[in-house]
Amino acid sequence: MARYGMVIDLDKCTGCRACMVACKVENNTPQGHFWMYVFRFEEGEYPNTRTWFMPRPCMHCDNAPCVKVCPVGARYKRLDGLTATDFDRCIGCRYCEVACPYGVNYFNWKKPEGNYYLDWDDPDLAEIVGDEKVVYANPDLDKAYGPEKRRIAGGGQAKGVMEKCTFCVHRLEKGLQPACAAICPTQAIKFGDLDDPESEVSQLLREKPHFRLLEEAGTSPRVFYIGQHAPNPSVRQIEEITVKV
Amino acid sequence: MAVQTQKLPYGIGRISGGWLLALLVALVFTVFGGYAYAQQLIYGEVVTGMRDIGTMAGAPWGLYIAFVVYFEGVSFAGIAVAALIRLLDLDHLKPIARMAQVMTVIALILGGLGVIADVGKPGRAFINLLKYARPGSPFFGTLTIAILGFLFGALVYLYLDGRRDAALLAKVPGKFQGFYRWWAAGYQDTPEARERHERASFWLALAIIPLLVVAHSTLGFVFGLQVGRPGWFGTLQAPGFLAMAGVSGLGHLIVLAAILRKVYGLEEQIDIAVFRWLSNLLLIFTAVYVYFMVVEWLTSVYSANTAEAQLLNALLRGEYAWIFWLSVVSLLIPLVLLIGQFATGKYRIGWLVFSGVLVNVAAIGKRFLVVVPSQTHGSLMPYVIGSYSPTWVEIGVVLGLMGLGALLFMLFAKVFPIMEVEEV
Amino acid sequence: MSLSRRDFLKVSGVTGGALVAASRLLRLETLTAAGAESLQVEEKYIPTTCWIGKQDCGMLARVVNGRVVKLEGHPANPRNNGTLCPKGVGQIMSFYDPNRVKTPLIRTNAKGVPGEWRKASWDEALSLVAKKMNAAREKGGSKFVWQKGRSKAKKFYDKAFVAASGAFKLHHGAFCSDAGYRALEYTLGLHAVLHPDFKYTRYLLCWGWNVTNAGGNKFCWLTWPQKLVEAKERGMKMVAIDPRQRSAAHFADEWVPIKPGTDLALALALCNQLIANDTIDREYLTKYTNAPFLVGPDGLFLRAEPEGEEEAGAPLVWDTVSGAAVPYTAEGIQPALEGEYTVGGQRVKTAFELFKAHVAEYTPEMAAEVCGIEAAQIERMAREIGENAMIGSTITLDGHTMPYRPVGIMAYHMAQQELGFQAVRAMVMVMMLIGSIGAVGGQFSDFTWKEYKNWAKFEHLKVQDETNLYLKDSKFFPINSNNSSVVAHVINNLSEYGLDDEVVPDVVILHHVNPLGSFPDRNENFEAYKKIGFVAAIDPWISRTADYFADVILPAATIEKYEGPISASDFYTDAETLRIPPMDPLFDSKGDIDIYIDLCEAAGILYGEDGYIAQINKQLKLEGEYALPLDQKPEVRDIFDRYARSKGLEGGIEFFEKNGVNIKGPASVSKVYPYAMEEPFAGILPHRFYGESLLVAQNDMKAAGADEIYWRDYTPFPTWRELTAAQSPAEYDLNLISYHMIEFKQSRTPVPLLIEMAPKVFVEINPATARAKGIADGDEVWVESHNAITGETRKIKAVARYREGIRPDTVAMPHHYGEYVKHPWVKGQGPSPNELFFTGEGYVAQTADQTYLVRVKVTKA
Ligand SMILES: Nc1nc2c(c(=O)[nH]1)N[C@H]1C(S)=C(S)[C@@H](COP(=O)(O)OP(=O)(O)OC[C@H]3O[C@@H](n4cnc5c(=O)[nH]c(N)nc54)[C@H](O)[C@@H]3O)O[C@H]1N2
Ligand SMILES: Nc1nc2c(c(=O)[nH]1)N[C@H]1C(S)=C(S)[C@@H](COP(=O)(O)OP(=O)(O)OC[C@H]3O[C@@H](n4cnc5c(=O)[nH]c(N)nc54)[C@H](O)[C@@H]3O)O[C@H]1N2
Ligand code: SF4
Ligand code: SF4
Ligand code: SF4
Ligand code: SF4
Ligand code: SF4
Ligand SMILES: [Mo]
Repeated sequence: MARYGMVIDLDKCTGCRACMVACKVENNTPQGHFWMYVFRFEEGEYPNTRTWFMPRPCMHCDNAPCVKVCPVGARYKRLDGLTATDFDRCIGCRYCEVACPYGVNYFNWKKPEGNYYLDWDDPDLAEIVGDEKVVYANPDLDKAYGPEKRRIAGGGQAKGVMEKCTFCVHRLEKGLQPACAAICPTQAIKFGDLDDPESEVSQLLREKPHFRLLEEAGTSPRVFYIGQHAPNPSVRQIEEITVKV
Repeated sequence: MAVQTQKLPYGIGRISGGWLLALLVALVFTVFGGYAYAQQLIYGEVVTGMRDIGTMAGAPWGLYIAFVVYFEGVSFAGIAVAALIRLLDLDHLKPIARMAQVMTVIALILGGLGVIADVGKPGRAFINLLKYARPGSPFFGTLTIAILGFLFGALVYLYLDGRRDAALLAKVPGKFQGFYRWWAAGYQDTPEARERHERASFWLALAIIPLLVVAHSTLGFVFGLQVGRPGWFGTLQAPGFLAMAGVSGLGHLIVLAAILRKVYGLEEQIDIAVFRWLSNLLLIFTAVYVYFMVVEWLTSVYSANTAEAQLLNALLRGEYAWIFWLSVVSLLIPLVLLIGQFATGKYRIGWLVFSGVLVNVAAIGKRFLVVVPSQTHGSLMPYVIGSYSPTWVEIGVVLGLMGLGALLFMLFAKVFPIMEVEEV
Repeated sequence: MSLSRRDFLKVSGVTGGALVAASRLLRLETLTAAGAESLQVEEKYIPTTCWIGKQDCGMLARVVNGRVVKLEGHPANPRNNGTLCPKGVGQIMSFYDPNRVKTPLIRTNAKGVPGEWRKASWDEALSLVAKKMNAAREKGGSKFVWQKGRSKAKKFYDKAFVAASGAFKLHHGAFCSDAGYRALEYTLGLHAVLHPDFKYTRYLLCWGWNVTNAGGNKFCWLTWPQKLVEAKERGMKMVAIDPRQRSAAHFADEWVPIKPGTDLALALALCNQLIANDTIDREYLTKYTNAPFLVGPDGLFLRAEPEGEEEAGAPLVWDTVSGAAVPYTAEGIQPALEGEYTVGGQRVKTAFELFKAHVAEYTPEMAAEVCGIEAAQIERMAREIGENAMIGSTITLDGHTMPYRPVGIMAYHMAQQELGFQAVRAMVMVMMLIGSIGAVGGQFSDFTWKEYKNWAKFEHLKVQDETNLYLKDSKFFPINSNNSSVVAHVINNLSEYGLDDEVVPDVVILHHVNPLGSFPDRNENFEAYKKIGFVAAIDPWISRTADYFADVILPAATIEKYEGPISASDFYTDAETLRIPPMDPLFDSKGDIDIYIDLCEAAGILYGEDGYIAQINKQLKLEGEYALPLDQKPEVRDIFDRYARSKGLEGGIEFFEKNGVNIKGPASVSKVYPYAMEEPFAGILPHRFYGESLLVAQNDMKAAGADEIYWRDYTPFPTWRELTAAQSPAEYDLNLISYHMIEFKQSRTPVPLLIEMAPKVFVEINPATARAKGIADGDEVWVESHNAITGETRKIKAVARYREGIRPDTVAMPHHYGEYVKHPWVKGQGPSPNELFFTGEGYVAQTADQTYLVRVKVTKA
């Protein structure tokens, strides 16, 4: 079986945040939720300054603290390497979130259907698009996935449950790349089978120096970075996003 | 009206104006809490001040979890004192054993409700926590051992320990007679039965102490095992939790004892010796806790990697400094007072109550500081610094829980002797 | 919603479709057992194009049950190769936006304040507009104005409307990059700005190109970063010349934080050094430019006696073979590039000799001082340019042996500065010196080498009394970019420009433009619009301009319309595409072309020989069987069907509806590389190294009594002078510039998905500067600008953001903010920098182009 992973080439990333928007539209994540987040960084002092960008999905850690702490097994590891969240089982304790060192979890603080930016209940619009809670609702997200047949795809599932990047499990099952990887203008995000030595991701990791985030935390992320360096304390975030719901 | 009624002890069954007023106040708080919680149920936890870590720059755990930890801490000391009294045969302290047990039970109930208040899917939580329990999760420890197991233990202990009193009370006719009979469950206050009862509660007390330590350590583990959160990961987390639990619980007990002493005029039964003992015990726990605190402090000052330093900075002079220093002062003043009392041998109940209240202020403050800053200021990733302040809903729910606690205590006190009955 | 059981998924035949279909069908089996409910979806992919950006990236709209659920990149479109930028993906929200203008609106309150509206039928609105428009048309001149901004797709239907209605046209160019266009048109004859040959370039001067956010020449964004990343992988070196590092420096090997508006001095210093290092391509300069022309003491070329009808004879060069001055067109000569010669008794020099003297004062030290950078950096750049240019080398592609000069410049919107025209000319001259123009790996600008009409026109710049609203051919701006803020300025000060009320428009149609949002000077525009009788806006939203001044708003559709044809070329591959509506126009909106057809019908100019239909035929070259009948109201789909058939595409429009893009194949070497052409550079020769006609114009302007401020930059060689802004009092100590952000496309992206990521306007400021002023990161500040000519000041409040990657003497603001459009998500974004910029003398270039530079002071609010 394939064991998926992601390789992100920071030398290619323009920081455009298309991946963030693609993730949102593909996965119908509610307002304020960024399963994919792109850091924009600056370091050094004028004129010896450097600017660079770092996309941050869920790391799908092999030794995932979030999985360990989940009291009900809603957050679990799949054989294909994905760290999944079962929306039907999650009790919304948010322990996974505080345990995750990467800040990738998003809780449905409110009813998702009321949290999609615009008034989709507009009567003129309803005539055209019906009563979808979000006009661009992706029909693939409500289904059960994997041999375990659990509902783990997409966002905005229910008030009071935890969500995060799914590695686009619903697309993987169709043989498609995750939405963020597919959209990336410079193809900075590569996704594939890390167990297959011939896969593009494996080759890249063989050829180029790489790092993982917070390696010292022992989480064994399945997301690897090429180029630049791990963010250190001298790195400042610019153009940061801090929207609350 | 010639019916011969023997009065039940400690005001059981008698309703005074003061009690009613107090009950009313507690009820108002409870109802308010219920109302606040209803808001949360309807609109979701968006009505709280909690938000996601990372791009929302928030804290997903806030006041609720701080109070879950606090309540559990309080529960610890109650049963611990009760058990110690039994184990060490501290006869003169017997008068406070019952109230300590009740305090434990109520605090645990509040802790449990706190967890329910916190989770996003409370209905589902009841089922799934049992159905899909994952013992590997420290949260399992918290919920299963610390709250449910411990609550069960405490209830059993309270029940067994109360059987003798129930048997005695069952002899008195009245509307609770049936209840006492049920509680006594055939217990006869014969010497053999008394002997058996003593033995049983001794072993129970013995068993409950390690359970206690384990439970409160797991609570520490909820935080202490998290590598990803500066300020949490550490070996001192578990013992620290234990020490703080002692401090807050003893403080509570002192205050409770003093109130009951006053209300029921129990100056004789709960004499100054009781307070002296409590005072010294509190002194030990406070001293140990302060020691842990200083050690932890120094470690982070010296070792401070940036994340830890940032956190420390927020605590010492940043956003949380006022809570931090308030807590420190609320610990140090009692410490000085307690040392003073110990040194001079003169124990003053007023000062003790003052200390009891202060250490609880400190306990709440410190619980808050354990839970929150590591989320808002403890990110290992370069997110912006977060912030958290509770909303009225959270404060309402917490006040509601406190009201409920008071309510339960007052109700209990009206149906069962709050102190062991000497003789009827 | 219909719940009829349509189990099968229709996946239209697009790339990847088969794969999708196969896996979908497989899942159909497994899931039918589980519960077939969720399978009642009808799914298809409709090819279309991005409707936000100007390069119209190819898209696949995933349509489920008639509802578009996602826009993905079209994998076959060479411009974007299956990818999209954030606006491309995010625009899904804009067509569903319930805040769109849903029906035609007619104003019910006074103008000059936010509008109140009543709904109207299309008939009512159109006949009102038509009536007003016809009344104005009758008066002629500039009474009926048609104004358009940065549009998308081919402008055929615009041109057809202007032709059919005789409208006076205003556009956005003077705010975009027209100074650069004029410079290239003047110097090389091409209608474009500057980009390199990414496939072969080894050394790129990224000169005010905001790679990580915007533009570059020709495209919207996406294509260039793709090419850049490929080139970087190949080992290309890049230098970013930009006051801000956030633009491109992530990809740059070196950052040159130039002081805004001083690029001309830097370019001339590079010329100075290239000459000093003797890294110049004499062959190109001699053969293909006017650098060897002999210039008399009056600054004009020496010319041969005119032959026959000709006005002037051919300019002379010094022929080293014959040792005499001969027409440059003479056969068998070897012109001297350098030197001083005696011709007809006077000492004359070649233009190049003059240039050497001209740039002698532009030493690295002098430029370093002007540009606020280090002399060593300039020297290093010049050395690296010289080395990488590999002057003299050739490369053979497809059988053509051509010069190989792998050095190029990418620049675009930075051309909009006070000296913009001359600065871009100076930049081109750097490339001319190394012979990089049109060489493989070298300097490019357009997709094809095609002579633009201005090339000939600029040989004789008109300086005449008769002028019009935008001062065309006048003593003020002989080269002119049609600047609508200058128009506003003129309307507000008619007598100063020798004009009267006659020129003030009665009726303006705003199509796809938002002057009050996009164009500085906002005050000037505001005052001018007050004077215009009737304004109609064609827009999907209530733009700021429409809100204050429109009498009628006609709701345009967004992506749900046919538009095109659209080039899908990425410079190396020829391709064409169309915008196909993935669903019907929402609400009561209409596609832009439909609106014009209806409007022309209402105005009575649709049919007949000179009617709109006839003009469409002309613009799209629909002839014979493909021509639209002139007496029949056309369907828009039919127009494109005929177009497609006329291009030999079988199935007509269906070809595009099915495939999305028509790939014609790799662009031929002779199309891309001018040296491979029969007539090199398509005969646009000789390139104007020396700007003789500029000097002629200067003389004419003086003679016509123009002030120095107008003629001072009409010099044959670019010449540095102090900027107007620099004359503001010392307390206005910072340069304010503005720029584009990747999250937005001008003001046309009121898309919550995007606004969420960048909700509020801010001012980037260097921390050292800020601290000295007691401003903390995130503080609210006042930004106050000063007009050095009039002394006027203006101020706005915004949030200061620390940026180490910006010059300490410069602050920068993104320009997409400021409640451009009436929309709930745009509220509270904060002000636009366009409130601070000025138009008018000193703040427009010599080509009437708008500048985006002003001195400001920043204080804590
Ligand atoms: N300060 C500052 N100002 C700038 C710039 C800068 O860098 N700094 N950049 C300048 C540049 S480069 C340019 S090109 C100009 C652009 O300036 P404009 O061309 O005015 O651009 P927009 O603001 O997008 O205005 C377009 C209007 O068209 C509407 N629109 C969008 N799509 C359609 C459509 O399909 N049909 C119709 N009918 N209407 C539509 C939008 O709602 C909007 O109201 O702005 C300039 N302004
Ligand atoms: N995302 C997005 N993309 C767009 C657009 C958009 O609105 N949004 N607009 C499109 C349009 S219409 C255009 S015209 C293009 C514009 O494309 P660009 O020209 O790439 O875009 P700008 O952001 O205007 O970039 C100007 C750059 O020049 C720098 N600069 C400013 N003043 C000076 C100066 O005096 N000298 C030098 N050397 N540099 C200077 C600024 O710091 C900025 O980085 O982008 C197109 N693409
Ligand atoms: S889409 Fe690609 S280039 Fe853009 S931010 Fe994401 S990873 Fe970087
Ligand atoms: S990144 Fe966080 S949420 Fe994702 S697997 Fe790792 S610990 Fe879990
Ligand atoms: S929030 Fe849900 S997924 Fe996370 S730990 Fe709690 S139950 Fe598990
Ligand atoms: S893999 Fe899918 S879910 Fe994860 S960040 Fe990318 S698009 Fe979002
Ligand atoms: S680059 Fe421009 S045209 Fe392409 S998707 Fe983005 S906005 Fe649209
Ligand atoms: Mo532009």
